Amino acid sequence: MPTAADRRSGPPTDEPTSTTRYPDEVLDEIAELAEECSICYQCGTCTSACPTARDLYRGPRRLVRLLLAGEIDALFAGDDLWRCSECGACTDVCRMEIDVASVLARLRALERVYGRQRCPERAAAEAAARRLARRPRIENTAFAAAMAAHGYVPRDVVGAAEAGMKIVRTRLPGGKRATAAVPPTRADRARAPGTAARPEGEGVTLPFYAGCSLPQDGALHALVHEVAAGFGVRLDEATDAGCCGHPSRGAVPAQFQADGRVWTACPACDDGLTKEGVDAAPLWDALVARARREGFALRARATSFVPYVGCLVDRDAALAALADAADLAGVEMRVAYPSLHNACCGALGGMYRGATKGSTRLLRFAAESGAPIVTPCSLCRDNVRSAARQMRLHVPTYFWPEFFRAAERPAEETSHA
Amino acid sequence: MNDVRSGTAAAGAGAMAAATAAGPRPRVLLCECAGTMANIDFDRLAAAIATEAEVVRGAHWCGREGRAQLLEIMERGDERRLIFAGCSADFAARRFQKLTARGLRMEVADIREGCSWVHGDDVDAVTRKALSLVEAAVRFPATTADVLSHGRRENSVLIIGGGVAGTQAAAELAQMGHRVELVERRPFLGGRAARIGTVFPTNDCGQCLPTTDDQPGVRKCFHRNEAIDHPDLHIWRRTTVESVNGRPGDFEVTLRRLPNMVTDACVNCGLCETVCPEPAAEPGTKAIFHEYYDGRVVRTIDLDACSFCGACAQACPVDAIDFTQSPERATVHAGAIVTATGCVPAPHDYVSYLGYGHDGVVTQVELAEMLPAWEEQAALGHMPAREVVMVQCAGSRDRRYLPYCSRICCMIALKHAMRLKKLFPRMKVTVCYLELRTAGIGYENWFLAARRAGVEFLRGTPPEVQFDGDGRPVIEVEDVTAARKSVLRPDLVVLSTGLVPPSETAEMAHVLGIELDEDGFIEILDRKNRATETAEGIFVCGSAAGPKALIEVSTEASAVASEVHNFLRSAGRRGAPASVVDAASCVGCDVCSTLCPFNAITLVERPADAPRPAEVKDDGKLAVIDAGVCRACGICAANCPELAITHHQDDAAILGRLAALTAGVDKPIVGFYCKECAGAAISLGGQHRDAYPETVRLIELPCLGRVSALHIIEAVRLGAAGVFLAGCAEDRCHYRSGDASAAEQKRIAEELLAEAGLEVPIEQWHLCAVDRLSVARRIRMFHARATHDEATLEALERELQTIGGHGLPGGAVLAGAVSASGGGACAACEGGESGAHGR
Repeated sequence: MPTAADRRSGPPTDEPTSTTRYPDEVLDEIAELAEECSICYQCGTCTSACPTARDLYRGPRRLVRLLLAGEIDALFAGDDLWRCSECGACTDVCRMEIDVASVLARLRALERVYGRQRCPERAAAEAAARRLARRPRIENTAFAAAMAAHGYVPRDVVGAAEAGMKIVRTRLPGGKRATAAVPPTRADRARAPGTAARPEGEGVTLPFYAGCSLPQDGALHALVHEVAAGFGVRLDEATDAGCCGHPSRGAVPAQFQADGRVWTACPACDDGLTKEGVDAAPLWDALVARARREGFALRARATSFVPYVGCLVDRDAALAALADAADLAGVEMRVAYPSLHNACCGALGGMYRGATKGSTRLLRFAAESGAPIVTPCSLCRDNVRSAARQMRLHVPTYFWPEFFRAAERPAEETSHA
Repeated sequence: MNDVRSGTAAAGAGAMAAATAAGPRPRVLLCECAGTMANIDFDRLAAAIATEAEVVRGAHWCGREGRAQLLEIMERGDERRLIFAGCSADFAARRFQKLTARGLRMEVADIREGCSWVHGDDVDAVTRKALSLVEAAVRFPATTADVLSHGRRENSVLIIGGGVAGTQAAAELAQMGHRVELVERRPFLGGRAARIGTVFPTNDCGQCLPTTDDQPGVRKCFHRNEAIDHPDLHIWRRTTVESVNGRPGDFEVTLRRLPNMVTDACVNCGLCETVCPEPAAEPGTKAIFHEYYDGRVVRTIDLDACSFCGACAQACPVDAIDFTQSPERATVHAGAIVTATGCVPAPHDYVSYLGYGHDGVVTQVELAEMLPAWEEQAALGHMPAREVVMVQCAGSRDRRYLPYCSRICCMIALKHAMRLKKLFPRMKVTVCYLELRTAGIGYENWFLAARRAGVEFLRGTPPEVQFDGDGRPVIEVEDVTAARKSVLRPDLVVLSTGLVPPSETAEMAHVLGIELDEDGFIEILDRKNRATETAEGIFVCGSAAGPKALIEVSTEASAVASEVHNFLRSAGRRGAPASVVDAASCVGCDVCSTLCPFNAITLVERPADAPRPAEVKDDGKLAVIDAGVCRACGICAANCPELAITHHQDDAAILGRLAALTAGVDKPIVGFYCKECAGAAISLGGQHRDAYPETVRLIELPCLGRVSALHIIEAVRLGAAGVFLAGCAEDRCHYRSGDASAAEQKRIAEELLAEAGLEVPIEQWHLCAVDRLSVARRIRMFHARATHDEATLEALERELQTIGGHGLPGGAVLAGAVSASGGGACAACEGGESGAHGR
């Protein structure tokens, strides 16, 4: 294996590839990564498969090439490393069975410590993460404030202001908080057992992990509980649950542990928890499965919709789950081709940064279809809304529970009576 | 006169040693090589040799007068051993070729390339070394190579596979006068080539075969090609090989033939097919079917699909359908076997990740089948697809599927792309490729023509083919050269799938006892020099050893025919006599039989009357060496724990020579080298006159595998300051495992010497002929290291620095005769112990 020393004492005729002098541990690690990638023949399959590589990101192939060429400066200088959403598609498709995703993750870890030409967005995200690492969960306000303080202002100011207003309203003493039917916590239920939305006793209780973003939008949080209740599902939400550890915002260590399966409302949570060894699954899957089992239908907000599942999910499974919901609701799901519905929404490093080719294509398709966009991810919803605003397209975008809910059942009537 | 020959050929190593002890004094022909060996005092040398042998001096034995004198000596016929002390054995063999043909048999003591030419002006030291070389030769006779006849070889050959490769080889072998059994699993000859449409690079069909009649360059369709009708060519259709017994030269092969059911009376009217009620597995075909008319069989019955209803037999106007036929077994004898089983397109599950199975995704094979219909559409002015995307390396060069390149898919794609552009100039044809491999005569022109025709080439390959709401394919692919992603929305995706060995290959290899390579194709014996031999007497040609274009298949078919012809006609092997197991010492362990690279050694039940060592019980095993298979490399003799195997260059001779060569030398360096690659390097280096110290004493072995720990330890015991083992280039041992055996023996010797507290440098080198210019310096450096001669070492290192790593000869006697490029090739070896050649 070539060591850093080999690299430094290479043939004297070679042009220096990096002007910066890096410490030996960086060169050793780079040499090790290059060795791991040495059988790469630049077929580009990884970039072809990368959901965020449409335009803003030039893809894993180029990063591997820079790594092999010893262009450490170029590797660390660009934002490319930080555009990765860690979905792992590159590793899945690699013809040479290189673990590309892990190579990129290790490069990011190196850059975090040794990179000099920092990606400003990453620096902002890191500052936010540093504050958040001490807390159990990411606070969106703190995160956004830290990023703004570092000179990073979200591209969609209107959207950001809206979100800020919502958060402020939720927090103001005596504000909208009271009206936003705060879901019962474990403690509440302990005080009043059996007072759930479904008194007929056929309901189930599922352990629920709300994540960091949902609790900060009180109305949406309440809506999730309400919709679940419509399915006869009580969400047992651990209010003190820690961070899922998803690295999309920087290096936040996971602070959540669970024994059995937990249900989530966020693909990043799913991904983060799964990587931490927690069995996590989307809440929507449980709701749809329950509707199928109990034989009741779903009610939808429109007669057709265009799905958007985000970059972090198992694309085909997520699309199939949405198709299942569409089937139960008797509405049409309009799909152009699968990768259109999971390309990057424009949230790079965790915050909206402008419409991407992917979101542009998706929105055009939805506009042509005359159908709203439905997504199982609340963050994606906000990003797609921002993109629509930027493109001046009227395409409503809904979070899953905003679009689907359980239909009224005859049984419900009787139980009320 | 010719008694010399018969005497040598008959004598085993033991018998020879006895003959020496008792026979007359040997005769040494001392050659001064026309005065080019000025550093040897020949008077002193001759006087010293005269104590042990009769010396005949000559200034120039290979000159006209010398040769005449030699002839005279030969004609005396006094049965003395002749030892030629002069140039190397290789050089002498060329110089005395004509006399050798007339019966001259002589041993060689190399005092020229191995002594005078490679040493300095110290006349005393060089003369002493020359003397030791001649003495070693006189005292320990070497066996001269001779023709050893092997067992009878059947004048017949079994060819498995009736595709282009097998059929062409069969026709040529029959023409050469051998009986040929051509076995084909399917009912029809012609293989894949006859069934596909046009082939590159000629754009005509693949149904023709060269004829063997007098006109050169004539080719004819299979069904018109009379070469296949040769009376000695037996065609076995629907036949498989069940078992193979016997040995190379005389295989006994059991064949199983399924009946054709349709006899030669068939006139190809096709009535049977119209009445047949049973569909076959392939869509559009029935249980009675025709495939490709190779001139003999027209139709046949798929026995899996047939319900034996008899409708076809009733309909047949010429009573050509005979349901009374039944499967049969037959045994044939063959001197050689040729495997020509070809390859098949990769199974579809290799490309299901690219949407295969969905509408709008086909393979190149299927596109070829669609093209005739598209041609008709083109004539009507229709364009069946607006945009076509071809995906190269579909499931190939991919560790998850086929890791290798199938070599012909690029050309097939170019062929089809150009055909499409020609039929439909407005069609958008995009080829997604990883690398376009167009290495073949005239192939690059096709690439050029395709670019000119407007075919788009996109470097990149999609991980999947998706489908939109209308079911149309969507390909999202990185255009690698532009570093951006493209979304292609073709009407048709064409997958260039790879080729794999037929599923029966592994089974057949097992029956034949041959090896498969890492990709499942038939392993060839040598990837540089022997493309058509897979084992002794078993040959391979065509795509059975890896996918190939038709021109290569055809070339290999002719090559294999010549090789089989040589194999069947060969009278024997020229070489040294086989090694012999001494039953009185053999304990029946399996070391030799495991190590023998040629499977020449078998363990048999020890015959009751065979002698046995004291510790062996009655039911012990005994190793037996098949003299017809043994190549006399000596690996078994070197590794036998009981020293029970006698090689023609036995331990007594090697140890004796070692003693003779090192006697009276201060701190000698002993080098064992094989006479193949290392021998070439050392002998050519000697002719180059690159100097090394006189204290270096070399012992030539047939293969480095002959060296045993015993020899190394004995060299050290005799005072050697260092020992080197020089063999062939890495993994290129001419006896396959000699270098591995030597490495093991070196390890054993090092361990034992370390136990005895003897720290002597022992190195193993891998040399080949290109090292001729650096081998002397390598020896000098080793000598300096072993004798701790710091001054020389420093000088050598300085020398290496000034020549910048280019292996120009060090201490060259002949300046100006140096090829810089030849020297450069050896630079890789200078630093380390092992050379990097031949890979």
